[in-house]
Amino acid sequence: MKWAAMLVPLLFLGVFLFAALRRVKVYDSFAEGAAGALPLLKNLFPYIAAVLVLAELFEASGLSACLQTALSPAFAAVGIPPEIAPLVLIKPFSGSGSTALLADLCARYGADSTIARCACVVYATGDTVFYLSAVWYAGAPKRPALPVVIALVSNLFAFCVGCLLCRIL
Amino acid sequence: MNAIFLALFALSAGLLLVRDPAAFLPALLEGAGKAVSLGLTLAAVYVVWLGFLRVAEDAGLVRGLARGVRPLTSRLFATRNAAALDAAAVNLTANFLGMGSAATPAGLSAMKLLGSTERPDYARAMLFAVNCAGVQLLPTTALAVRMEAGSAQPYDIVLPALLASLSALLMGACLTLLLYRVHAPRTARGRKRTDKADRA
Repeated sequence: MKWAAMLVPLLFLGVFLFAALRRVKVYDSFAEGAAGALPLLKNLFPYIAAVLVLAELFEASGLSACLQTALSPAFAAVGIPPEIAPLVLIKPFSGSGSTALLADLCARYGADSTIARCACVVYATGDTVFYLSAVWYAGAPKRPALPVVIALVSNLFAFCVGCLLCRIL
Repeated sequence: MNAIFLALFALSAGLLLVRDPAAFLPALLEGAGKAVSLGLTLAAVYVVWLGFLRVAEDAGLVRGLARGVRPLTSRLFATRNAAALDAAAVNLTANFLGMGSAATPAGLSAMKLLGSTERPDYARAMLFAVNCAGVQLLPTTALAVRMEAGSAQPYDIVLPALLASLSALLMGACLTLLLYRVHAPRTARGRKRTDKADRA
């Protein structure tokens, strides 16, 4: 996976040099973009905090273990580790919630474990379907169900593919 | 999300009340503490990537890429409406580069503009399906979270993640194509369009 590690420095170098050629003031431009970081975090942090507080409570109460036991046959059948069940379930609803759970899973099982790798791939695949449908079809008189079903099915399919790829790659 | 939060919170709290009431507050504080350290990590990620993306945007890279994908989007959304295609292309490109904040406004205006094209329901559903696949060149947040947790090879998820989201894209696009062909009225134009999409 050497190529992937080289991708990031090459990307930065390429884009910055290209921008300089196009007479962009790279320093000012970078600072302008970076200024958006704290407002973005300010918007997301309350939700991340709420989900992590809930996740901890969920874990401590033993409900998480119950859920894993209940769902593990179904998840095992499609090749998704049952430990990441909460992530798979929360993903269509909340992006910040998934970020919170991902960090929790990586810390709990070790960043290089199969569980954490599958969690990362599940996190990076697909989007928050229900949230997107609410925003995108907000102007429409009636929110159609078919696109949402299509998106959920294809994302679930992609989670299975991703977890399979994590095991073989 | 509100209903889920309340239900899970009440259920967990109720269970804990029976099992071990003393563990309630420590669990909440533990969660909040994790949120604070995750927030710091995310702040660093956002500074680096939002800065980078602004430079890319100012250099005209987003517009350039969007122009490049124009022939592809024209087939995908079965229209030649230039304004709608441009908005959709900017949305897709911004998503691919991980610029959620730039992608959403473009996506919303594309949604509106696609509504006045030849096959509005199909085109909107297709744009929605493509967006829900979340194809991204570099999953920057996942990478950062993994590095923070001390991964030795954080980048080994890039390829599986890209392939998995491409499979979501393929599956979503095929299903939309298939299901909306059944629904769409069988006009001559509609048939010609889908034939074209089949070849693509």
